[in-house]
Amino acid sequence: MIVALALSAVVSAALGTLLLRWLWPGGGAPASRPLVAALGIGLGAGLSSILLFLWLILLGPRRAFPVVEVALLAVLAAAVYRSRRSPDLGEGRGGWLEGPARLLTPLFLLVLAAAAAAFATMLRQEPHGGWDAWMNWDMRARMIFLGGAGWRTAFAPELPWSHPDYPVLLPSLVVRAWLYAGRTTLLGPALVAATFAFAIVAVLVAALGTLRAPSQGLLAGMVLLATPFFIRHATSLYADVPLAFFFLATVVCLALDDRAGGATPRFAVLAGLSAGLAMWTKNEGLLFTACVLAGIVASGRRAGWPDTRRRLLSVGAGLLLPLLVVASFKLSLAPANDLLSTLGVERTVGRITDPTRYAAVLRAYGVQLLTFGANGLPGVVWPLAVFAVALGWQPIERRRPWARTVAVALALLLAGHFMVFVSMADELARLLASSLERLILQLWPSALFLGFMVTRTLEEVGGTEPAATSEVPRVAVH
Amino acid sequence: MSSLRSLRHCLALGAILLYAGISTARWARRAVHWPAHVGVDEVSLYERRFDQLRRALPPTGVVGYVGYPDPLAPPSDSVPSPALLHFRRYLLAQYTLAPLLLVEDTTRALVVGNFAPGAEPAPPGGFESAGEFGDGLMLFRRRRP
Repeated sequence: MIVALALSAVVSAALGTLLLRWLWPGGGAPASRPLVAALGIGLGAGLSSILLFLWLILLGPRRAFPVVEVALLAVLAAAVYRSRRSPDLGEGRGGWLEGPARLLTPLFLLVLAAAAAAFATMLRQEPHGGWDAWMNWDMRARMIFLGGAGWRTAFAPELPWSHPDYPVLLPSLVVRAWLYAGRTTLLGPALVAATFAFAIVAVLVAALGTLRAPSQGLLAGMVLLATPFFIRHATSLYADVPLAFFFLATVVCLALDDRAGGATPRFAVLAGLSAGLAMWTKNEGLLFTACVLAGIVASGRRAGWPDTRRRLLSVGAGLLLPLLVVASFKLSLAPANDLLSTLGVERTVGRITDPTRYAAVLRAYGVQLLTFGANGLPGVVWPLAVFAVALGWQPIERRRPWARTVAVALALLLAGHFMVFVSMADELARLLASSLERLILQLWPSALFLGFMVTRTLEEVGGTEPAATSEVPRVAVH
Repeated sequence: MSSLRSLRHCLALGAILLYAGISTARWARRAVHWPAHVGVDEVSLYERRFDQLRRALPPTGVVGYVGYPDPLAPPSDSVPSPALLHFRRYLLAQYTLAPLLLVEDTTRALVVGNFAPGAEPAPPGGFESAGEFGDGLMLFRRRRP
């Protein structure tokens, strides 16, 4: 069974990595093998989830899925081989054992080992995860996997408390792991959780290592692994960490698109695909996608309208497949959203004109932002502030359009959640207590990526690398 | 100039490494508490409680559910929120018995009774006992007219 589960992880990761290798532009576009592999793990899982959903719609939870998926992988591998598209990915900027990274790589591995050990221990203590995991995601996975021809009962309106309108990336990945294993096992959800938790760290480290410097990636990775709620929440088996992966992948692809300088639409298409997979993970992904599109428009003045239009069209093209899947799910299977269904004009107007609700949400936001990541230190914002002040901004990176796009998108997302709390929550205090930290966590890896991208590196401050190296020449890619 | 650079280096590195170091120590301490046995958590124990009952139920379909404590009971020191506890037990029963759909009513042919261990409640009106499975778990069947 362990071998079958491992195979399920390898197949989806290979699917994603092969697809990325095939799509990745050549001709000097920013790239590295670790980044492609890290992105491939999560994007592959997302695509496997869509495949499984289509399989369910057409055939139900039939056990032959793994055979078909492996066959598809073989076809893709053959297509990639025959196309002879093999961009020179390289290892990114500089070595992982040179300069400051020589000290930081072993330290990072130490933090990673401790976090992984704690992750395994916590999962062994609570193998069913937190309340939402068993009452929602894994209950739904069980109903699909064990339900046979009646698998659609998983979305029955008789289960309103289980949010049957939520997208099904997570349950479908658990079902997929069980189809490989041949039976239900608690190792299935654990494998999915571990895949996304550690793939996020890998993407963060590899992307910063590729676009800025290995030391910057290693430091950001350490901060993420050291954020107590990140590891703790990953073991709760909720969908927030997978969602955070797709947020981060979108943001990284936007940064890659900016670096490629309009010579290829492929990174923007990948950003769209990733945002679409976020929509397929949780309803919050819909708001995120809208915020990203608004962010692209908002940064349009700096990027120029032709570039903005190109980016919007490319992101839209990437969104298409997951959007179709989400729409078909919402139209054919999902009942009405429980939050939206409680909205009435009179009640909503009453809520949004109540100043005490704004004050309560604002206070909760302030406390959460200042104390998020507390681990004995009062919050992670304080060491990060010291880091940023000591090293200073990287002026070129800070002015890039993608940085503005992402900053606007993240700010809009926080503002959007703010208004959801104000206007929709019946029990405001309870919802803030149970949700706000998770919402911050969803943004956390993306915010770290943005912050470390626009902060100078140790090499730049130490003079071991000229500051201008972050100004990658805009090259013709194809 | 170079000492200023060194200071900035030290401050930046020190802040991140201090934060990461504290968490790493906490993770390591957490990992030491590796449980010798798996499956002794609340949900796993709750699942095992339903093992016998599960065999007496159809594998799929819809069954009714009655549970405890009474959600309208007044809060007490031992049960500060009866409604929440009632709901949690219902959710755990649903998770455990999936893909069977549990509906909190007595309009179905079969009704699962999830009561306090040792309790002997009367069947709901129009129902008869179809089995006792220990630890407060019962199955009721609609009485034939």
